[in-house]
Parts: sequence; C-alpha cells; structure tokens
Amino acid sequence: MDTPIYYSKTEFIETDTGNKVSRRATIAGPQNIILGGKTIISSGAIIRGDLRRTGPGHAVVISLGRYCLVGEGCVIRPPYKTYRGNFNYYPMKIGDHVHIGANTVVEAATIGNHVVIGKNCIIGKFTIIKDCAQVADNTVIPPNTVVPALALFSGSPGRFVEDLPESTQELVESQTKHYYTRFQPLDR
Amino acid sequence: MWPNIQYYCPCLSSANALTPPPPILASSSASFHSLHNLYFCEECDAVRCNRCVSVEVSGYYCPNCLFEVPSASVRAEKNRCARNCFSCPICRATLSVVASDPPDDGTGRPITPLNNVGEGPYLLYCNYCRWDSTEVGITFEKPTGLAGTRWLVHFVSNAYIRVVAIDLSSTAQLQKYEDSAPESLEFERLKEHFEPFLRTSSLSSSTHLLPPTSHHLHTSSATAAASAALSRDIPGISKYNPLSRSRSGRDRTANKDEMAEYKSRVEVGLFGQLGSGGDDADVELLRCTETVGEIAKLEQRWGNSWITSLRMSELRPLRIPLHSKVSKRCPACRHILIKPEQKAQSVRYKIKLAAANYLPALSVGFPQTQAAKRALGKGVEPRNVGVMLAGITNNTFRVALTNPLYDPIQVRLSPQRVTDGRGFQVSLPLTPFSIGAFAEAWEYDDDEDMFGVEDDELGLEVGRGSRDKDARGRTKNVGVLERRANVTVVGGEVNVHRSYRGQVKFNMLVSYTYRSDDPLPSEDGAGTPSRAVVKTPEVKTFSFYTVVDLGPVLSKDDSESR
Ligand SMILES: [Zn+2]
Ligand SMILES: [Zn+2]
Ligand SMILES: [Zn+2]
Ligand SMILES: [Zn+2]
Repeated sequence: MDTPIYYSKTEFIETDTGNKVSRRATIAGPQNIILGGKTIISSGAIIRGDLRRTGPGHAVVISLGRYCLVGEGCVIRPPYKTYRGNFNYYPMKIGDHVHIGANTVVEAATIGNHVVIGKNCIIGKFTIIKDCAQVADNTVIPPNTVVPALALFSGSPGRFVEDLPESTQELVESQTKHYYTRFQPLDR
Repeated sequence: MWPNIQYYCPCLSSANALTPPPPILASSSASFHSLHNLYFCEECDAVRCNRCVSVEVSGYYCPNCLFEVPSASVRAEKNRCARNCFSCPICRATLSVVASDPPDDGTGRPITPLNNVGEGPYLLYCNYCRWDSTEVGITFEKPTGLAGTRWLVHFVSNAYIRVVAIDLSSTAQLQKYEDSAPESLEFERLKEHFEPFLRTSSLSSSTHLLPPTSHHLHTSSATAAASAALSRDIPGISKYNPLSRSRSGRDRTANKDEMAEYKSRVEVGLFGQLGSGGDDADVELLRCTETVGEIAKLEQRWGNSWITSLRMSELRPLRIPLHSKVSKRCPACRHILIKPEQKAQSVRYKIKLAAANYLPALSVGFPQTQAAKRALGKGVEPRNVGVMLAGITNNTFRVALTNPLYDPIQVRLSPQRVTDGRGFQVSLPLTPFSIGAFAEAWEYDDDEDMFGVEDDELGLEVGRGSRDKDARGRTKNVGVLERRANVTVVGGEVNVHRSYRGQVKFNMLVSYTYRSDDPLPSEDGAGTPSRAVVKTPEVKTFSFYTVVDLGPVLSKDDSESR
C-alpha cells in the first residue's frame, strides 16, 4: 500500500522540477543530459552524458522524461558505431514513466513511454523499446533488437514471452507516479 | 506473492453458480485474475476475463520491422515477415545485416556488426551468439532492402552439395524456396483435393453458424469448413465460437463416400528422408556424433515449418513470425470489449472496457509498524513485514479500496468462512462504508500527508467502524481506518489457531452500490416533496468475488528465529 520508500535527505539533490538525483550517482556531462521532472536517479547510477557526438556545439546526449527511475548501480551510456569509417556516439531518448531496475546497463537508441525494465538487465546498443513494453529481470537484449509495444521480453537472449494487458499504460503510469510520491526524505 | 487480492470471473464454474471454488483448492487460482486483466461488459453487467472473451485478429505486424502486413498477404507469406527480418537458428535472437568485409579499423578485431556499410557480400549476423549466415552458405550483394538482391544458397547435406543461385526480385523468394519443399507441395495438393468437398459440406452449416467477423474474412472456405468439420466430428470440441448452438451434423456424413481417392505424390516413408536424410542417415549421424552440441536442440527445430536437419551446423535462419493485434468480444452478447487502434505500435484503443474503470480496486497490506519503519534502509523498497502468526488473535491487515467512479459508492465486504475452528477466522467491518468519488484532481501531486499515518493517530477514526475492544483496551484494528479522496482504508484481523499451518487465504464477496447513469424520471415530478426527490436517484448494486491471500502462517518460534 502506501508504505514510503525513505531516502536520506542529505544524499539527494532535488531540482526545481522535482527531479531527485543522488549525490552518489555519477552524472558525466550534465549539460548534455535532460531530465523531464520528477525523475529519480538512484545512488551508484552512472549516466554518461559526456559521450557525445564529435563536432562543435552543444548536443543532447541522453534525455529522460517525467516520472522515470534509474535504479541503483545502473549504467546509462549512449550507443556508438563506426559509420563510413567514422566512430560516433548517438543520442539516447527515454520517454515518460520509464522504470529501470538496479544494476541494469542501457545502451538503447530509444525507449518509449510507460516502459518497465527489470534489474540486472543488459539492453544492447541501438535497441528500440516501444511504448508499454516490459523487460523481465536478468534479461539480455542483444544489440539492434526491437521490442514491440505491449510486449514482455525475457531470457538470454531476450525473446518475446507474451502480450501485456490492455491496461498496462494506466497501470505503469499510476505505479510510477505512486513510486515518486512514496519516495520520501528522512532527516538523519 | 502475498499479500495480494484477486478478482473472480465466473466463466469456469459449471452451473450458473456465482460462488467461486474454495481457495484451498489449487485449481481455484484459474478462476481468479488481477483486476487489470479483466474486462467489463456493460450490456451483461458482468466481469469477463481473457479465458472467456472471444478474440478476433484485427491486424498483423512484424515484431521486428513493425511493418503492418495486410491480412491478404499473411497467408501467402505463411505468417512470417517477408522483408529483412530473420532470427538466429541457434539462439533465436534477431539477425543483423553486416558486411563480410568491414573496413580495417586498425584494432585487428574480427567482424563486428558496427560497420553497416562496408564491402559486400553481406551476411546475416547474430549479435548474441555470433553465428553468421556464411556457415550455411547464405550471402547477398546489397546490405539494405534484400529485395532485388541475389542470394546464393549453398545447400549442404551429408549426401550431396548443391549450389543454388536464386534470382530474387524480392525477399519473398526465400519463402518461395520454402514453399517448394515437398511437404509444402503435398499439403497444397491435399487442400486442393478436399476443397470442393469441404465447400459443399460447409455451405449449409458454417454460413449461418459463423458470424461474419473480420477474423473470418480472410480465411478460406477450406479453413472455415475444416473448423466446422472438426467440431462436428469430435464431440466436445466446439468450434471457435463461444455461442455454440446445436447443429445438425448427421446429414452430411454420407458425402464422405463420394470423395475421390487421394494419391500421394510421395511415398510415405520418403518423408522421413527429406530434411535430414532419413532414418538410416539419422542413425548414422548419431553414431558419428562426438559431442551432444552437434545435434540441434528440439527448441531450435520446432519453430521450423518443415523437417530440418538434425545437425546444428545446418540450421538456417528463420523468417520472423508475425504478431497480431486483437479485438475482444463479450462471449455472451458479442459486444466489443477491446478494439485497438489500427496502427500496430499504438497503445491506444478505440474501445476499452476495462473492469478497473467499473469495480473498486482493492489492495491488501500489513500496517507499517515503527519497528518496520526503522528497519528500512534508505531508498530500499520495503518488504511487507507482516506475517500471520499462529496462536495470535490479532494479526492485523489492511484493505485499501479505490473508487474509479465519479460518484461516491457504498461498499460492503463479506469474507467467507473457509476453515473450522482450528483454522483461522477473519474479522472485517461488515457494515457498509463509503468511498469518495474519483476526480482527476486526486491525482497524486506531492501530497505528503498521504502516508505516515501512525497507528495512534488513527484512534479517532477507528471508533466509528470498529466492533469491539481489545482486552487491554488498545486501539481497535477492525473498522474504517482512513478516508481520503477516493480511497478508503479498512482494517481487519485474523485469529489463527495454534495448530494451523498453511496460507491465510479466503474468498470475499464485495458488494457496492452506485448511482446509475440513467436519467432520473422523478426529478421533474412537481408534486413530490423534496425529500422524496433526494431519495429517488436510481441506485444499483453490483457484487463480485475476490480471493485475499495474506500469506503463510508462521509459528511463534519460526518468527523469533528470523
Ligand atoms: Zn472469464
Ligand atoms: Zn519484419
Ligand atoms: Zn544467435
Ligand atoms: Zn456481454
């Protein structure tokens, strides 16, 4: 039910838009990272905004939407490839209401809205995860995989298991909002 | 996992009995579903589940390239993607198109899938297990749009080596190649042979039995008739139509004798030899096998349409099977409950009658004690710490009910007795209580007052709903504990007998009364006193069963050792 999830007030920085970022997370290249608001970056997470496309100017490397959760020890790193002989990183876009479990490594190209990724997963380079899809704990999604909307993937390599219920969107939305409300500071 | 609560769909019960099976039966779980998996038919005023709804395909798409395949081509393409989508024959991961001759990046690394534009020929490469299609001699000249390229299929078997050059005007040519398999040709011939017979025999039966639905539009008369014939010939198998009616089945059996005799093109025994070289060759292969890894696993072979080699090294890439979007109908009145938007990757629905929009959502949990609160690490999601203890009279739990309706509702809970005096008894408030109306504004917005209600703070509220006092006069646990927005939390107690071991799991009838949407005829009644008008809003009651699982019972000793 409404049991709060406590965190130490001193550990987290809260932004104007309600993002809560652990001081124990590594945010490299913060100027290249966008957080949509009410998104939680847990302790030990690593977000590599510094791995940007070569060239002048300022570029968004990683964008996360609203009500996202990057679990403890997660690594979010933009995908790369050599195209016509040039090595380059490519931006990663993550939608709203996306939860990523602890110790998961993400190198996806795009992740849609209302996506739930379990813990200890590897989401390979240039993976595309569509809206309302889910990836079970301990799944390995090989590079270039497409996970269609409302599909559950599991296993190593990750494969389609079943279609998710029609109400997945509402369910995930209320869960992610609920999680954010339960995530409460404890003065200590 | 416990604690949890599930909702009952009566479709599996034999009679029109609406009571669910006792929760002690393992089979009872088949009748219970989580609320978000259920539908609600307004026409029948009933809950429906995925087991009882009738399903119709409303569209096909490839789960990899996401191409929406017109249903007309689905059959021709044998339900698999006819574009560039292949799965690895070894591990079933999706294959990528890579150049066989990547530009040297100076690191001396072997082929990597990172160089999408290198020099041809190109091959299919597995990013997971590193299998590539040169192992079975498949390469092609262009990296994109396998359409218009030339495939070289070196066909290796233990008997002969054949090099087949196929000029491809489209990737569908690989399928053409599959279609030329002897089994496939034989199957087509069989269908042709039976088609006229099935057509005549089905005209009378299937035309009026099958409702014209989108699902059946593209199935051939042979397929429809086969379905009709199956249901006719095998008692107990009803056709794909939940509203089965009695049908006259005897009159057509006579036609069977008029059928011409079918002559197979291939000797029966020969089929065994088609893919793998036949039984003798299989035996020979197994005799020479040194490691079990040389033999393809069942899992690697059963997705194939036709017989394939037993050798792992001869497995070929598979075209990826298509997925479908489905509409769902009420089995009784045929009204649509689920109708997805046409676009394959849209998660929106034109019609979605989810039970969660009609029935209150119940969730069950244990009260959070101070001790538990202290035990929680920061940022760690708490486990529910409550455990039912044997020999304890006041194991407490809570049920939170959330109202999805725009009007307040009155709810009444009736837990069902499941065990005798030596099991457990459940106490819940038995008098009706109200739940506030749902409003969009209730959406959580950083309302910090929403939780952290300590037991002693609740003392005031509890006085109303609870029944009797604890021997030591402490705050009562049974009754309405909390009301906020469209959520009401009630407390319950379980008395577990000293000797009871097992799950605390019981069925519970939930009845709620709500104001019906129907216009109120008495509203304009001029002569009626105002008090009567207040009473007249039409009120309806709906009841449904749930099963509440509070988890296993521990003895006191068990719990102390934890
Ligand atoms: Zn059902
Ligand atoms: Zn495809
Ligand atoms: Zn593979
Ligand atoms: Zn109905």
